[in-house]
Amino acid sequence: MNILQALIDATSTGAVYALAALGIGLVFGVMRLANFANGELITAAGYALIILWPISWPLAIIAAIGVAVALALFMDAAVFRWIRSQPPATLLIASFGVSILLQRVYDGIFGTNVLSAAVAPGLTASIRIGELRVNLISVVSIALGLILLLAVRLFLTRTSMGLQVQAASEDFRAARVLGIRAGSVIALTFAISGVLAAAIAFVLTAQSGSVGPTFGVQVTLFALIGSTIGGLGRLGGSVAGGFLVGFALSLFTTFLPDWINDFRIAFVYLLVAVVLVIAPNGIFASRLSKERT
Amino acid sequence: MTSPNSVPRRFPGIAIPEPLAKLWTLVVPLVVVWLFSFLASSISQTAAIDLGYALANLIIVVAMWTFIGNSGVLSFGHIAFVAVGAWTLSLLTIPATIKSSIMPDLFPFLSDAQATPLVALAIAAVAGGLVALLSGLALMRLNGLEAGIATFALLMLVVQILTYWKQVGPKAGQSMTGLPRSFDLQTVLLIALLVIALAWLYGQSRSARMLRASRDNIQAAPASGVRVTLHRVIAFTVSGALAAIGGAVWVQLNGVAQASQFSLDFTFTTIAMLVVGGMRSLWGAVVGTLAISALSHALSLLEKGVQLGDFMISLPSGSRLITLGAIMVIILIFRPAGLTGGREAMWPFRPKITRPGAQAAE
Repeated sequence: MNILQALIDATSTGAVYALAALGIGLVFGVMRLANFANGELITAAGYALIILWPISWPLAIIAAIGVAVALALFMDAAVFRWIRSQPPATLLIASFGVSILLQRVYDGIFGTNVLSAAVAPGLTASIRIGELRVNLISVVSIALGLILLLAVRLFLTRTSMGLQVQAASEDFRAARVLGIRAGSVIALTFAISGVLAAAIAFVLTAQSGSVGPTFGVQVTLFALIGSTIGGLGRLGGSVAGGFLVGFALSLFTTFLPDWINDFRIAFVYLLVAVVLVIAPNGIFASRLSKERT
Repeated sequence: MTSPNSVPRRFPGIAIPEPLAKLWTLVVPLVVVWLFSFLASSISQTAAIDLGYALANLIIVVAMWTFIGNSGVLSFGHIAFVAVGAWTLSLLTIPATIKSSIMPDLFPFLSDAQATPLVALAIAAVAGGLVALLSGLALMRLNGLEAGIATFALLMLVVQILTYWKQVGPKAGQSMTGLPRSFDLQTVLLIALLVIALAWLYGQSRSARMLRASRDNIQAAPASGVRVTLHRVIAFTVSGALAAIGGAVWVQLNGVAQASQFSLDFTFTTIAMLVVGGMRSLWGAVVGTLAISALSHALSLLEKGVQLGDFMISLPSGSRLITLGAIMVIILIFRPAGLTGGREAMWPFRPKITRPGAQAAE
């Protein structure tokens, strides 16, 4: 196995997890909600892609973004805005509830079996550069990850709405006192997390070509865990943590010897527990204390 | 909990000594659980089966309360101890011949081990307590969200190990079968009542009181000399042992053990029970479990279909978990402290004995 090859694969996996972690970190920053139900946004967008892609691909992409954003806003309006003042642990439990609830709803609507369709079939092709085989989908996920991370960063630092989001995530109450419209800032962050979820859904459905009720759970779990070890509330830290977990997972899959490869996920969780014990507030928490992306 | 200056309610004349009023907070849950079981087992055969699972869940939820309720620290990992308990009981009670045929790669000491059900239950509790102690030593410095995530990682770690480690179980995610059914409903009820009593006893202990002080004010407690981490580890260990008992009872009712059963859904169901009742009190854990179990039984009947006059009413399958999720979210929105408001089942008539200062002396 070529090391360079493995690194490329790991980077593309990491990019997807970083996107998921960015969505979680943004929402957490503004309202202290570690949103378990982020995975169900990904699943919803995935369903839209799989069902509509055979009909018309631009429609599918627009619908995926629309569905994920609408669902994110709905979640906020129906559940989270009512319990904003509760401690983070309660919010986490509530989002856990929303997550399971939505999974059952998907069960009911689409059935427990996976739906399949080829999403962006052109992307499964690969290009050869010397010894390396590079899947187009890896290139796309890395590019998509970079573009969206940059876009969110520019939005947060260059637009007035973005600055309001940053201020709100720094100190929600003070920001409110200073005249920042809390409702619209929160709605906006939820909407962005919806867009990110749609992007993740695109990469994942292009890779697997199928969607089931628990489609978004795995990536969200790892992203949530990644953003926690990176330092929740520090956006840069969340993204780095999410990337790290995806990267580690991919490298473990490639390099662990066969007899122990089944335990790769166990190793990731062990790593997480160890990191949290060493650095309870996340690895990147202190270094980035002033600089917030 | 009883503030000395509060206005006496209803019948101020009927006062009882304080120890008795305290005992009341144990007697009420015990009697309610016993009555509930008595009623449920006399309704129908299916109700009796569901009752068994309800009691197993009750043990697990009470175990979770022992830690979460007293410490105020979130744990998504308790199903790991449930899994350890279930695994221990299974390995000890499945007949040797079946064991060697479905799990040929088992460690010799595990394939030779055999115990009577009650001894196996005790060993399961010890195993769960040990795993909780070891993981608690590492994890108990964490607070809030980080604790939730770290304990969740622990659950996933344990599930992965039980799924893939052939020396401690069947190969790659297969199930352990051949579990003899050794506890009848009466025994399960007795075990549940015993666990409630143990959890209550722990709740009365000095360690638990210090832990609750740290729950209510994490800054002040250490400053007053409370060793928060130590008491959390103690609570986590007790709670892990009780949860393992719950797992052992659950698995022998279920008859089959499989690693994938100890999943997010199981975690969610038990957390929902605790949240709905009220995380902060033992009474809340009991009320939440009984209420959700009864509701869940009723919903599963409705899923099968019920004759009402000329109409056959039936809910689509899967609506059970949807309803549970919705109820939990609604309770969190409108009554975040749960149905009981996080209070114990108090003696309805104020004990007049409480003197100002008596609280501080405790």
